[in-house]
Amino acid sequence: MVTMSERDVTGNALGDAAGSAGSVALEHHEGAAVLRVDGALDLALAPKLRQLAERAARLEPELLVIDLTGVTFLASAGMAELVRAHRGPTASAPLRVVASGRITLRPLELTRLVDELAIYPSLSDALVR
Amino acid sequence: MTSRPGFDAVLEAVRQAFVGADGAPAATEVRPLGPAEAGAVLGDHVALAVTDRAVLADLVPGREITGAIAVAADGGRHGALVYTTAATGAPPAAVAAAIEAATADLAGTVRRLRNEAAVLDALHSTGRELTAQLDIDRIVQDATDAATKATGAGFGAFFYNLIDEFGESYTLYTISGVPKEAFARFPMPRNTAVFAPTFDGAGTVRSPDITKDPRFGKNAPHHGMPAGHLPVCSYLAVSVISPTSGEVLGGFFFGHPEPDRFTARHEYLAEGIAGYSAIALDNARLYERERTLATELSRSMLPVAPPTPGLDVVTRYLPAATGSKVGGDWFDVIRLPSGGTAFVIGDVVGHGVTAATVMGQVRTAIRSYALLELPPSEVLRNVSELTAGLFGESFVTCFYAVHQPTDGTLRYANAGHLPAIMIRPGEPPGQIGEALAQPLGVGSVFPQRTTGFPPGADLVLYTDGLVESRTRDLTLGIEWLLAGIPGLLAAADLGTAWDKLVEELTSGRHDDDIALIHVRHRGEDPP
Repeated sequence: MVTMSERDVTGNALGDAAGSAGSVALEHHEGAAVLRVDGALDLALAPKLRQLAERAARLEPELLVIDLTGVTFLASAGMAELVRAHRGPTASAPLRVVASGRITLRPLELTRLVDELAIYPSLSDALVR
Repeated sequence: MTSRPGFDAVLEAVRQAFVGADGAPAATEVRPLGPAEAGAVLGDHVALAVTDRAVLADLVPGREITGAIAVAADGGRHGALVYTTAATGAPPAAVAAAIEAATADLAGTVRRLRNEAAVLDALHSTGRELTAQLDIDRIVQDATDAATKATGAGFGAFFYNLIDEFGESYTLYTISGVPKEAFARFPMPRNTAVFAPTFDGAGTVRSPDITKDPRFGKNAPHHGMPAGHLPVCSYLAVSVISPTSGEVLGGFFFGHPEPDRFTARHEYLAEGIAGYSAIALDNARLYERERTLATELSRSMLPVAPPTPGLDVVTRYLPAATGSKVGGDWFDVIRLPSGGTAFVIGDVVGHGVTAATVMGQVRTAIRSYALLELPPSEVLRNVSELTAGLFGESFVTCFYAVHQPTDGTLRYANAGHLPAIMIRPGEPPGQIGEALAQPLGVGSVFPQRTTGFPPGADLVLYTDGLVESRTRDLTLGIEWLLAGIPGLLAAADLGTAWDKLVEELTSGRHDDDIALIHVRHRGEDPP
């Protein structure tokens, strides 16, 4: 059940490349913090994901889920944030990543991050404990 | 509706002025006037006898009005009409004139203050618009237009200095009020006696008639305005001075063909707009400098591929065409002591100066380990350790390959980078090194592979900017690239063919850096 939601959207500032701007929303599902990412997870959106992942970590959830289902472009900057949420200095809860479809899975395979990150096909699978 | 005590008193006084034929107060009524009505009826007057039948019938329909006085309230923003239908004696016009005379000073003051407020509002909104801009061309044109309007000048010009890529200063200008062609055939204003104070930042020059100024006409060759110049009599010039460096960025010049057109107020406004322009130009320059710095830094660290025996090497580095994301991609071609050649392509996550400096250090580290002739897996393992230690959480992808001509092999390892393309004679393009290991700074084991690289074979290393973007899926992008390879190999000139293919793949706009190396094994040269 969603009890709270925060959202950050990247603008299209200063002649930024055209394309869908992304957003990150932090939701709480009974002890699990869920970061739902939509749009392009690139250099423009990565700082928002980091900021909300750190905010989520401060609430000491039992589980952190990053849901990439709505991601339309996964750039290295976005993958760097997944690694950071997984093993960075502020990582506290175990991380689960929801990714399905080649747009998100392909980059994760090419960088062999699939070896390291716990990847689930859907949010409901990721929330099963 | 107005219910201010002062105004009520005025209304009361006006009502008392309506007297019947018998000298007794006549019955009066009051009809409030809204802003539009007050403006239409009163104009600039504080009080006015209204005699126009049509106006009265409009305001108070169906009444036979015998006398009426309109009174302004709140500086003319509202008002009221006091009228009577009784037969009256004294003409209301005299009463209105008396009120008008008594309040003339006050009304003047209100008008002046209101104009002042409008001027400040305009200055403030101009400032807000200017300082929100980072585009120099727009800043200078908007500022010139705003200042020319605010000063009531016949025309205005803004001359500003820029520094070109060689560090040389040059001057551009914008014009407002007249077409730019009116000035096109004149040379740039020089540091003549009239212009010097402005270009030197020595203070504002305001003259009722510049042609009578002792500084005017002192300089050859024109001794005054060049022939055909728009006539300037009233003259106002203000310097634009950088708030951070104190440097004179340019100057505003305003002219009017008639004398004595610029007041202290105009001077104040022009100086205000000049101040905002200086801030805006400073911001734009700092932004531009950061962008250029990252580009220059990246470029300066990129090598010129050394001649390699038996190999033709084409390299490209294209900084991001849009935004300020430049700085993370690099390539390197390294001649090894053993006679082999190492090819490196990589991508540092991040942008701007930070990414460019991390890139420079990672590149140097790879170079050092490469020259020690460590095998590819060891080069990447060492650099990954170094990277994780030096830059904390970093994410650097890198493909490292060594061609050894003595045995015709290519040994390679890949830290999370896109696969390379290998084209052997008579075979379709294939990909090598796909998903071998994690990026530098993340992974610790980097498996190594060996493949043949015979004469006639081609190897292509590239970064993701070539094949993916927000609107182009990676898988599809790689397919398109592979499809473009046969045409590339058949081209007469490989470099030109690459420029064309990059253009096609990115539709001419790439929002990420692109780096690529194409190695063609043309066969060993005779020693």
